[in-house]
Amino acid sequence: MYMQGLANFIDDFLGGLILISYALVVGSLFWSAFILKVWAKEPLANPAIIRRAVSVLRFGAIALASLQGIKLLIKGMVLWGVLGELPIQDYCGTVQFQAGFLRMLLALGIALLAGKLLLDTRQKKLWNLLLLLSIPLVIAGAWLVHAVGRFEHREILMTITLLHQMSAAIWFGGVAQLLALWRLGYQDEEARLFWPHAIIRFGILGAVAVVMLLMTGLPLAINYIASFEGLFGTGYGGLVITKVVLLILALAFALINHRAGRRWKESGEAGALKRKVPYYIEAEAFILVGILFIAATLSSQPPSEDIAKNPELTATIPEVVEMFTPRLPKIHSPSHDQLLAGEAGRVAVVNKIPSVAATEWSDYNHNISGIFLTTMGLMAFLSYIPSPAFRWARYWPLGFIGLSIFLFFRSDGETWPLGPIGFWESTFGNGEVFQHRIATLLAFALGIIEVRARTRLDAQKVRYMFPILCAFGGILLLTHAHAEFELKSEYIIQSTHTTMGLLAVIMAAGRWLELRLAPGATQSDGTVINEATISGLLAIFSMFLIGTIMMFYREPLF
Amino acid sequence: MPFLSLRLKAALRLMPLLVCLIMPSVSFSHAVVTESSLAKEAIKAHHPTKVVLLFNTHVELALSRVFLVSAGDIFHPAEISRGHRAGELLIQLPSLEPGDYAIKYKVFAADGHLTENNIRFHVAP
Repeated sequence: MYMQGLANFIDDFLGGLILISYALVVGSLFWSAFILKVWAKEPLANPAIIRRAVSVLRFGAIALASLQGIKLLIKGMVLWGVLGELPIQDYCGTVQFQAGFLRMLLALGIALLAGKLLLDTRQKKLWNLLLLLSIPLVIAGAWLVHAVGRFEHREILMTITLLHQMSAAIWFGGVAQLLALWRLGYQDEEARLFWPHAIIRFGILGAVAVVMLLMTGLPLAINYIASFEGLFGTGYGGLVITKVVLLILALAFALINHRAGRRWKESGEAGALKRKVPYYIEAEAFILVGILFIAATLSSQPPSEDIAKNPELTATIPEVVEMFTPRLPKIHSPSHDQLLAGEAGRVAVVNKIPSVAATEWSDYNHNISGIFLTTMGLMAFLSYIPSPAFRWARYWPLGFIGLSIFLFFRSDGETWPLGPIGFWESTFGNGEVFQHRIATLLAFALGIIEVRARTRLDAQKVRYMFPILCAFGGILLLTHAHAEFELKSEYIIQSTHTTMGLLAVIMAAGRWLELRLAPGATQSDGTVINEATISGLLAIFSMFLIGTIMMFYREPLF
Repeated sequence: MPFLSLRLKAALRLMPLLVCLIMPSVSFSHAVVTESSLAKEAIKAHHPTKVVLLFNTHVELALSRVFLVSAGDIFHPAEISRGHRAGELLIQLPSLEPGDYAIKYKVFAADGHLTENNIRFHVAP
């Protein structure tokens, strides 16, 4: 029974959450030092603003300690399951356990100190202690990355990765702090006044972080990818490309925000800074979360350099292009009996026989799902036409409910409800099935929620669930595992899923912006082409593209 | 509280079962075999053989397991030891009858990733 995917998924998912928590701690510390200047004789911000910053830091530290602890526990449990016993001494002796445990303790210490700081933010001694604990917390991270297992340039790679992580943390932590400050502004006049200054100041700190991010990311990419084939023919390379695309998007938002800040500085015009920038920052946060999850997923991939020369492990560019090539979707499925007949051979270790029926079953599932999504996309486009004749098109999210019913029966034919493997056994015994079950539930929830949001004015609260669920779906796709396949087949499949994950994150950010920039409307009515409408259309276009990728999907026979 | 301690003991006894149920096998697909003696030299029938696998990363031997899998997917634990080179794993295989086999490895890499994979091979008469 395969559990690879679930453990892989949990590891990547926890890894992403750990990176986010780490960024909240480290980024908040840089924010406090350089934006709020808490170490200066007279800090630049009032105690309420500093308290808010410390709250974010404390939240990050508590989350980091908990997640790091959970990760150590889960890894121990996984080892127990894999080995049939848990050699505790050997496990505790690994550098991974020791660095992770140390990081957990340090995060706990930071959380305690931050709690004390909340009572009196002017205590320099506490700030110094906080800094003192943060240094080993950052350094411990060096033993938790890819580089630690490398044979060559180990120490240099560990150091560069550390700096790379720290730069990302400054960026994301700063963005989180900006959002916390904006929210504080609803109740605190000084926070409102401090807002433009924070944007300007963070522009400088953020730029330094981005430069450092690129300066450290480039040598890492060169070292771990090393070749053109490695970039386009391996999972590692594919994820790096996706990360770069999202990075460019996040940078575009950062640039828009920075320009708005500069305009305010030069002319005093603060309209955009208050009306739009907070929402752009929220969208930037969505994208940065996507990037951090990709970074976590990268750590579970073998570096391209190690497999790029092996044609059995690396895909060629034509093989990848083939996955995206338009063709007629499969609208005929093999029978369930044919699928089951091929299963024993497909999952055998010795004398494995690839199952044509399983491949065609999967192609059919993907292609029909693609037809669902592209049709919904086209309907959604129509719903933006400001004419009563197209009001019916606003019910396009109902397609998600249909899709979820289809997925419920079809996604894993060898399992319940169609196959002989029971619900619990299949859901928690196979990571891929587990992810498919989540996706099914997600599609159903999306349908119910979004129909209400698009058609009812009184559904204000649920409107934001759609982009949040889309982002979650995107993360699911970015960390999607097909561990039953060999590396090459896994990558060929992963190339489509990663692209869809990227589009789902864009879809989430687009819909979020649409809602935030045009509050009160069920959706932009399209009468005026403004940022809200463009964002909404971009979200729909992303969904349409996801649909087309699925419609042309062909699984490699393996 | 004897009742509580009994419950605790029962829960502890159930833990491995629970773990096996939830997470019977796993792969954090990171460590990959970059070199294998199986690719260079075929295994001779009726001769004990030492298979050499070279991984792209350091491997924690105490937290790794290797199995010889014979036809019908029957698993036999294999003895493993560290090789001379970094990342090198030596697998002692017994004398084998001609036929199809696989090596299933579950290795814990130094960067904390668990990898599970199969290498299939054929023993000629």
